[in-house]
Amino acid sequence: MTWKSQAVAIFRICYFNGWLGLRRSPIAFIALFLTPLSFLFFLYVIAPHSVLPFGVVGGIMFSALFTGNAMMNDCAYLRLERQIQQIFITSPLRPMSWILGMALSELVFTIPGLVLFFAVLFLVVPVGILTILALVGVVLLTWLMATSLGFLLSTFFRQLREIWPIGMVVFTSLSVIPPIFYPIAEIPATFRWAAFLAPSTFASQLAVRAAGLKVPIIGSAPFLSSIAFEVIGLVVLTLAFTIASMRLARWREP
Amino acid sequence: MEGLVARGVSKTYRGQRGTVRALDNVDMTIAKGRLFGFLGRNGAGKTTFIKISSALLMPTSGTVELFGLDVVRRAGEIREQIAIVPQEAKPFYHLTPREHVQEYLRVRGVSPEAAKNRADEVLTAMGLQAYQSMPAMILSGGLQQRTLVAMVLATEAPFLFLDEPTLGMDPFARRQVWEVIRQAARKGSTVLLTTHYLDEAEQLAEELAVIEGGHVLYQGSAEALKSKVRREVRIQFSGGFTAQELGRYGDVYPDRAGLTLLTTRNVVEELTQRALERRVPVNVGPVTLEEAFLTLVGRAIEDEDPEAAT
Ligand SMILES: Nc1ncnc2c1ncn2[C@@H]1O[C@H](COP(=O)(O)OP(=O)(O)OP(=O)(O)O)[C@@H](O)[C@H]1O
Ligand SMILES: [Mg+2]
Repeated sequence: MTWKSQAVAIFRICYFNGWLGLRRSPIAFIALFLTPLSFLFFLYVIAPHSVLPFGVVGGIMFSALFTGNAMMNDCAYLRLERQIQQIFITSPLRPMSWILGMALSELVFTIPGLVLFFAVLFLVVPVGILTILALVGVVLLTWLMATSLGFLLSTFFRQLREIWPIGMVVFTSLSVIPPIFYPIAEIPATFRWAAFLAPSTFASQLAVRAAGLKVPIIGSAPFLSSIAFEVIGLVVLTLAFTIASMRLARWREP
Repeated sequence: MEGLVARGVSKTYRGQRGTVRALDNVDMTIAKGRLFGFLGRNGAGKTTFIKISSALLMPTSGTVELFGLDVVRRAGEIREQIAIVPQEAKPFYHLTPREHVQEYLRVRGVSPEAAKNRADEVLTAMGLQAYQSMPAMILSGGLQQRTLVAMVLATEAPFLFLDEPTLGMDPFARRQVWEVIRQAARKGSTVLLTTHYLDEAEQLAEELAVIEGGHVLYQGSAEALKSKVRREVRIQFSGGFTAQELGRYGDVYPDRAGLTLLTTRNVVEELTQRALERRVPVNVGPVTLEEAFLTLVGRAIEDEDPEAAT
């Protein structure tokens, strides 16, 4: 199959799995943005209003990160329970196209939530077109990282029952423990570097910058506080997860 | 060129509960364009063989070539040529039969118009047109299975793997599916089909293989199988004979009216003569593939473990 047909195939998967899925069961996307929205609500009630912009950016990043959880669940479900992945991979479709098509459908599910959080962002901070573009860029990179991690994890499962608790543990620790919903400045200066042990921190710091919020000094080396560090971190992680899933993916069981 | 050539294929599954040798040194050849039936008891190794041949599973040893391409080393090229109905796959909940067929064809690189026309044809041929716009979640089990089979047969891929394609379908639907499978074969596809409905295998398959415990017991035509096991005719006796008396001619089992004997052609005259003398009605007919299969596999089980077969 030519590159053009692969691109068409990716778009079709996104259409029937993402768009038709969204249209036919809207509850799925409501479920996706309900969690970050309730976090934001708590922040609004209990925290000083100066943190609110961080909460809104947190909501955006949470949505972008949870595409990984959805990816993990969907891919494992279609492979193990429906077994329909087998029909798609025993075809001229390239494995990478299947992954990309699935990842795009997860993005489709997240778009309503993202639009909502962007709208709230307009209300709490002055945002220009550049801010929006920068944030969209960060969201896309985060989505790529999260879905490649999600796919990678999905390949380890042999049973669907194991998946729910693992998804909760992995993706909640990626989005709640590190500074996603709160400013990294809340962490004592000597330990701030530790936040970057979570793969999601690179993305969230980039998002905070993009939204024009204040970013504190991370460590003694100036590189750790630079935008380059965050971009490189995010890109390297995305590549690592993607390469690992291409190698480990169970296109062919051992 | 052959459609499929398997040489010395073995597969051992290793798990926490020990190892299972699912295939043991399987050799098999399927001519290009042949409609080939693959028979065997539950757990005999059919699905394992299909998964290895369709690049879904690694063999432990041995090689399989599809159209001359090694399935392990040339998986990418092989995937261009195949389509598979996996055993017990299920459709997407939210998509209709038409969407399944059409979108799958689009994903495989078929143009929008061709995909639509092909979907029209296949949905009609498989009796799905009345259901074509209903999401799969509200379709009955047999209709969901028909949707999957329609998807895969619509591809007209050069090599079609069908692992129990008619599972759970009613007799009308099965015949519709048979016709679509035959059509694919007429257009040049090579088909490897497994089924537990032996009438289906007899109707469809030009050639068969029978596998038991990971070994191929037989490969050839259905008729040749009947001769091989020396069970070509069935004679039904409505009384007048004892199982002991008939036992030396072949396999005897009780039926509704009396006894049925499976045996060779050459004793028919002798036995019908004797039945006439005793004024016992007899009914003579061909042995079914199912009966020949039971005999062949039954003997293999007996050789393996004489205790279990009695
Ligand atoms: N993933 C697996 N792990 C361990 N053992 C397996 C696995 N899959 C199959 N087996 C074993 O391998 C043997 C062959 O199984 P296979 O599914 O190929 O049989 P089959 O002929 O398709 O049977 P059926 O008619 O029931 O579909 C069986 O003993 C089965 O238990
Ligand atoms: Mg099977």
